[in-house]
Amino acid sequence: MIDQLITVIVALIVAPLIGGLLFGFDRKITARLQGRYGPPIIQPFYDFFKLLGKQHIAVSKLQFIWIYGYLTFMVVSLLFLVLKLDILLLVFLLGFAGVCFVLGAFSTKSPYAHFGANRELLQILAYEPVLLFLALGVYAQNGSFLISEIFKQDKPLLFTLWPLFIAVLFILTIKMRKSPFDISTSHHAHQEIVRGTVTEYSGPYYALIQLVEWYELVLLLGIIALFWTNPLWVGILIALGAFILELLIDNIAARLTARWMVRLSWSVGLVLGIINIAYLYLTKGVA
Amino acid sequence: MESWMMAIAILLPLVAGILVFIIRQYHVQSFIVVLTAIILAVNSILFLQQGPFTYSPGGFNWGLMVTILDYVILLFYLYVGISLRNWLVLIFALTQLIPLAWWEFGMKAHVELTPAFVVDHLSIVMTLVISIIGSLICIYALRYMYDHEHHTKLAKSRQPRFLFWLVIFLGAMNGLVFANNLVWLYFFWEVTTLCCFQLIAHDLTKEAINNAARALWMNSLGGTAFVFALIFLYVTQGGAEALSVQNIISGHITGAVIILPVALLCFTGFTKAAQMPFQSWLLGAMVAPTPVSALLHSSTMVKAGVYLVLRLAPAYAGTHLSTIIAIAGAFTFFAASGLAISQTTGKRVLAYSTIANLGLIIACAGINTPLAIAAAILLIIFHAISKGLLFLCAGTIEHQIWSREIEDMEGLAAKAPLTTLITTVGILSMFLPPFGMLLGKWLALEAAYMVPLAAIFFVLASTLTIVFWTKWLGRLLQVLPKIGWPREKLSLSYSVPLWLLLIGIFVIGMGVGPIYQNFILSATNNVITGNQIIPIGWHSLILTGTAFVEKGILGIFLVWPLFLILAVALLLPLLFIGLKPKELRPVYLCGEQTGDLDTDEWLAEADVKTKFQLGGYYYQKVLGEKTLDPWVNTIAIVILVIMLGYGVIIK
Amino acid sequence: MGLIEKSRIKSPWILHFDNSSCNGCDIEILACLTPLYDVERFGMVNMGNPKHADVLLITGPVNRRTARVLKNLYAQVPDPKIVIAVGTCASSGGVFHNCYNVLGGVDKVIPVDVYIPGCAARPEAIIDGVVLALQKLASLRGDKK
Repeated sequence: MIDQLITVIVALIVAPLIGGLLFGFDRKITARLQGRYGPPIIQPFYDFFKLLGKQHIAVSKLQFIWIYGYLTFMVVSLLFLVLKLDILLLVFLLGFAGVCFVLGAFSTKSPYAHFGANRELLQILAYEPVLLFLALGVYAQNGSFLISEIFKQDKPLLFTLWPLFIAVLFILTIKMRKSPFDISTSHHAHQEIVRGTVTEYSGPYYALIQLVEWYELVLLLGIIALFWTNPLWVGILIALGAFILELLIDNIAARLTARWMVRLSWSVGLVLGIINIAYLYLTKGVA
Repeated sequence: MESWMMAIAILLPLVAGILVFIIRQYHVQSFIVVLTAIILAVNSILFLQQGPFTYSPGGFNWGLMVTILDYVILLFYLYVGISLRNWLVLIFALTQLIPLAWWEFGMKAHVELTPAFVVDHLSIVMTLVISIIGSLICIYALRYMYDHEHHTKLAKSRQPRFLFWLVIFLGAMNGLVFANNLVWLYFFWEVTTLCCFQLIAHDLTKEAINNAARALWMNSLGGTAFVFALIFLYVTQGGAEALSVQNIISGHITGAVIILPVALLCFTGFTKAAQMPFQSWLLGAMVAPTPVSALLHSSTMVKAGVYLVLRLAPAYAGTHLSTIIAIAGAFTFFAASGLAISQTTGKRVLAYSTIANLGLIIACAGINTPLAIAAAILLIIFHAISKGLLFLCAGTIEHQIWSREIEDMEGLAAKAPLTTLITTVGILSMFLPPFGMLLGKWLALEAAYMVPLAAIFFVLASTLTIVFWTKWLGRLLQVLPKIGWPREKLSLSYSVPLWLLLIGIFVIGMGVGPIYQNFILSATNNVITGNQIIPIGWHSLILTGTAFVEKGILGIFLVWPLFLILAVALLLPLLFIGLKPKELRPVYLCGEQTGDLDTDEWLAEADVKTKFQLGGYYYQKVLGEKTLDPWVNTIAIVILVIMLGYGVIIK
Repeated sequence: MGLIEKSRIKSPWILHFDNSSCNGCDIEILACLTPLYDVERFGMVNMGNPKHADVLLITGPVNRRTARVLKNLYAQVPDPKIVIAVGTCASSGGVFHNCYNVLGGVDKVIPVDVYIPGCAARPEAIIDGVVLALQKLASLRGDKK
């Protein structure tokens, strides 16, 4: 019990630090790839604290309620990961966080936020099935939805779940809001649909969104690390590799439309997921 | 005691119905309906306390009565078919009437069964749903119909007639879930079809009558399958004993022949539960006043369909039929969720969501493991509460803005905050953790690997579900910068059912552990023996292994911790975030807004003040009924053909 | 200097608004973002939305049509905020000062903190101006209510 409590507290504190640094790293790498020098690596923290110190301005009370929901559910999803609980429930909680984010944007009569929210919904449509397939794949491999069960296995998930791994890499682009799929709101394109979903957030509340994104990044990389848990450092290396791959894709890809995003993810992601599960079902069976 | 309980459950609604039909005073009617509702609810709780028992009514030739009424109903269908010149209604009335008459008079079939009624845990769960949620909807209907008639400016009130059918619906449903004699079950089945027809046609508009006729012929098609199943069982098994539900499911009747009647009965269940390709009758039923929809969708009618399929689950366990039923249900879950995205009318979204969730329940019955069956029963309960609440919300909204269109509900949060709050909780409870519907979906997914195709449909469908609910909720919440909410007053007849259902969502959602332990487990055991869910008090549900994994834990669902998190995430900010007027700013409109806060005007060219408008996305070209319906219906028909062909032939 | 004050200097987010400029200064502002000047090394980011901005960079003389827009945008920037008039026209109206539709410099409509002269203002001057503005920004309190 005490162990778990310590894990929770450490995760709560360390995750945003790692996430923030990774975001700083992202900005630095992007700048270097564009031939610029780039901001210091701790720039996201400067941004965060600056935003905290700004005035509260608001469009409606509703949007703030949802943003707290977004934060809470994202943190809880992360805790599910570090406490090694049920991965399917984790995906559903992550879904709740996504819904909160969309609803936060919907609860203002702002054309830009509205636009972003609708696109964010399409993003959910694009990535959610792959995450659910991942949970099913984990079950097909281990016979349990528990993350703790993954850690007990000697054989890494990557060996049998590599098609799903590719699918997850694919949706990681969507979830990290990187080109070609940064359509609802973008990290580097600050002026496009004047930031979509986050248009109406400012000051401390915008800081909260950044905090959530840090947690989210750590969570996503953590999920990728699950593909190789024994030893865990291989998994973490894979996750970092995936992160750098995403940065590369972000910088070399042009943006696609929402329709393409859904079409691609439902064809590539789903086909890979279905093949993977079908293969496991046929080879391992249910009994 | 038991005879009294049965009488109250089945006959009291009839008596009350006749009373409200005769007494045409609003207050007296209200009194009778509320009293009936309370008695029914208390009675259903008595059933829970009493536990399972069997009962055969005596002292009167009830069997003869049932037979006579059967023919009265079928002749009425004939009359409807002829008077509306609706050949489908006519044909399917005849296909029921002629075989039934041939069987009962030609073959001199005489079905007297003891026990006539079997009350077990599954039917107790159903009667609780029917009697409590159904009764709340009846109470809601009182004021709703008063307003409805006020709005439509009817010369002569048709409310007594409406309440009559509404109330006896509950009695018929109670009879249906208790009946052991299939002939009686068939009778109650027909009564619910009749009530449904009358209620849909209530407004007597052309559309209402057409849609009612469609509901009638589709359910009559199901009824026909039912009649054939009856005759087939009787003939092949040689006797009345074969027509006992308990005998069918307990394995007393063996041999390959049983699978055909069971498949036919499942087909009947599919029509009633509006599974694809029969979804159109339930969609058409949306023209009816909202309490009717609430009743049809949450506690009666469609639940009869899933009840029958679930009830028969032991009879087809381990067969290909079972797998195909799982796939058929899962396909409906998927297709209906997709179609829901393109709907612009609130009630139609709700209807598609109902069809989808019924598909999920049926798929769970088809998966046929203890886990899946428990999921199905939990889904029936949670779906009844949440969907009942949502329909009542839809009705309340309709009576505030006099429209059913989602686009007209834009910014409802600013006009009717209380209704919006309740609707929001209702919608969230349909598809997000920690609410019961998600718990059911989670259980279903954890069980679904047995039928991987169903699992794939589940995954896709639950994603689509997120989209259409969020989209709709987003329209409700779209508000202009303003401080404070207007006070909203709802009449008691509206607010009492709404609040009770809302409380129900939380109480049953949070207490799911003890509730499962104390009475859902035994209901599951009425269908399939075994227990894969171990509740740890109020804290969590732990799923244990199946044949696939004996060794360990399948998954863990936290209950109260997640509710606590929900409170921290949404309730605390709702209560404690304050907003000062000077913090308000208008939305970003490139600086072109007219300046005032709560305006949605901006200065267009030549400085003309223009209102800007936002609309939802419906993706009708891709996901519209016109595009998808041919495909969906074809696939669904193919699945049905496979179910009745392959599933029956190859055991 | 507290954490927040320090962060304020390190992360000025800019909103660029063009009144009725000849686009000379606008091009110079965009030049600041290019690899040659790369203002992002100081944490400056060109935002598209006043609600995210700290610094309003305004070019061109204010005319009757843009005055209202400028006021609206200014109101939507959360405190603490800084306004920088970039170029001669934004500072005083410049060559347009007597036009029938021109009100004059930005300070006719909203308070200006820093004036950057030049026609067009050079990127170095703009960066210099922003740095000057940041010193003022650091001393401002967030809860200026």
